[in-house]
Amino acid sequence: MTKAITKEALTGLVAELTAAGVRVIAPAKAADGGTDYRAIFTLADAILGGEMPRRSLRAVFQPPTEAVFGWERKGTGIELTPAAAASQPQVVLGARPCDAAGVNVLDKVMGWDYKDDMWFARREATTIISLACAEMAPTCFCDKIGLSADATVGADVLLRPAGEGYTAEALTAKGEAFVSGHARWFSDEPVTADPAPPSREAFPLDKIEEWLEGHFEDALWADLGLRCLGCGACTSICPTCHCFDIVDETDGTAAGTRRRNWDTCQTGLFTVHTSGHNPRADQASRCRQRILHKFEIYPKRFEAVLCTGCGRCVQACPAGVIVPEILDSIAQRANGGAA
Amino acid sequence: MTIAEAVDETPDTRTFRLTFQDPAVAETFAFEAGQFGEYSAFGAGESTFCIASPSTRRGYVECTFKKAGKVTTALSDLNAGDTIGFRGPYGNNFPLDKMEGANLVFVAGGIGLAPVRSVIWTVLDEREKYGDVTIVYGARSVSDLVYKRELEEWAGRADVKLWQTVDPGGETPDWKGEIGFVPTIVEKAAPSADNAFAILCGPPIMIKFTLPVLQKLGFQDSRVYTTLENRMKCGIGKCGRCNIGPVYVCKDGPVFSAEEIARLPQEF
Ligand SMILES: Cc1cc2nc3c(=O)[nH]c(=O)nc-3n(C[C@H](O)[C@H](O)[C@H](O)COP(=O)(O)OP(=O)(O)OC[C@H]3O[C@@H](n4cnc5c(N)ncnc54)[C@H](O)[C@@H]3O)c2cc1C
Ligand code: SF4
Ligand code: SF4
Ligand code: FES
Repeated sequence: MTKAITKEALTGLVAELTAAGVRVIAPAKAADGGTDYRAIFTLADAILGGEMPRRSLRAVFQPPTEAVFGWERKGTGIELTPAAAASQPQVVLGARPCDAAGVNVLDKVMGWDYKDDMWFARREATTIISLACAEMAPTCFCDKIGLSADATVGADVLLRPAGEGYTAEALTAKGEAFVSGHARWFSDEPVTADPAPPSREAFPLDKIEEWLEGHFEDALWADLGLRCLGCGACTSICPTCHCFDIVDETDGTAAGTRRRNWDTCQTGLFTVHTSGHNPRADQASRCRQRILHKFEIYPKRFEAVLCTGCGRCVQACPAGVIVPEILDSIAQRANGGAA
Repeated sequence: MTIAEAVDETPDTRTFRLTFQDPAVAETFAFEAGQFGEYSAFGAGESTFCIASPSTRRGYVECTFKKAGKVTTALSDLNAGDTIGFRGPYGNNFPLDKMEGANLVFVAGGIGLAPVRSVIWTVLDEREKYGDVTIVYGARSVSDLVYKRELEEWAGRADVKLWQTVDPGGETPDWKGEIGFVPTIVEKAAPSADNAFAILCGPPIMIKFTLPVLQKLGFQDSRVYTTLENRMKCGIGKCGRCNIGPVYVCKDGPVFSAEEIARLPQEF
């Protein structure tokens, strides 16, 4: 189902949603001038199609820090209070297609075997309306990961720029329900979307996976390890990185909170055993882990690469560790060429 | 869960017997030897330990842990009657069904006896299902031996061959066991590999030197099992901490055969 929506209608839609108690999250200016996904109250606050939000959409479904439960000592017992699962309906407006795709990729690890309730409570309460990118930044490489500037993966509704307004394509049952539930803002008038930027040839991801499988030891890792500072910036802004830590917080009294906090495989403490033995004792092995997890481990287990080509890590890395460059050089090696 | 009993095994190692506070869970809770749990000292956090009690005994679980850091120190401070948190059972288990009718060789070092003890008692509780049982257990010193009462019990059983050893220098004047490192004593005990399986747990260095001894004795890698102890947090295949190559140790392990381990990248 494809309809059209004008900017004015979108303004009205946002007003209607917020008035009804629906949280609307969109790329918007943060206090320091950068762009982040934030709650907005009027469309004027959203920056649709502007610069890439600094942090990915992951935080909307799994905040960097969140309480899992509270506990309180009662005599010799402990009383647990589970954190309330988020149920307030929310709409993400203007999600980057690479970010919507990232959420879809993470559904796999969050949903296999044991289901992550907190993740899926938020997933169910959220409608994702993504917006096709009118242009690609030099750091973007979603097309080379097999997505595109107008990829539909993970989105419930995809808006495409169309002159002064947008086309609106409902992609899922949730998306159709959303569009028909707010039908008065959408029109059936045929509108043609502006052409999306063309896609380049994708990396040979199967070949890269195969190469990685056979090259746990390779000079490439030492090279990356020498450059990488182990700061973890790349993993903290990534839409698909999902490592976390579990910690207790207490003020030393009879009560406290167990929290889940984002973590990163890029620090030495991540894997160190209590004995001091560390299976990943150097930065080379930690860089290798990030690349392996994204392009071999995850694809093997979940049939999806753990990268959507958003390019954030390229922008964030203070040391010039550049994933598309790494993939290029692996592809060359996989093809038997010198890198 | 409630700590029903707390036993000091060594100066820094304790065993808790934990009973369920929820009667419905007590009724239904079951696990297999080799599985682990996440244990909480509220306020300090969670730690991963194997379930040290046998799967044949229902209604409680036991864990044995070494005081090593934040959580284990907080747990050590708890006593009978106190509440601790437990999530589990997680992970895979030792394939006891495959081992029926076979001779079993258990090799453990230090606190590595905890997971092995779960299997030993499970086997002894259904003794008629298995062949010979040989146990080689070593610790750094006499005072580092865990489960001392049970070692005595096994030593006294006609249907168990027990070899106890301490590292050179770790013996006391009245020590009657062996003196020497575990791999050496395994070589000396020389259990037959015919129709046998070996179960091996202990510090990485012990595993590393015991594997070749077992190979020399004729044990095939596919019939030698051990556990990997990569650092864990969630225990359920989400947090990403325990990966070794494409393997999630918390889901695909912690039990692996030596054959499987040889195929893994060396990141443990
Ligand atoms: C499957 C599995 C089964 C296990 N079974 C058992 C078992 O049966 N019994 C058992 O005792 N253990 C077992 N372990 C190990 C056990 O999980 C750890 O010993 C335990 O979690 C330590 O927790 P802790 O909070 O006390 O240590 P932590 O407080 O986490 O302290 C240890 C960590 O903190 C850091 N650290 C702390 N102090 C320092 C310092 N001064 N300098 C540098 N770094 C420091 C280190 O990085 C170290 O890794 C098992 C582990 C696994 C994965
Ligand atoms: S690895 Fe880099 S490019 Fe790929 S999704 Fe993560 S941040 Fe984006
Ligand atoms: S790759 Fe770059 S951003 Fe990532 S940990 Fe290394 S230095 Fe930091
Ligand atoms: S412990 Fe979290 S993934 Fe294995």
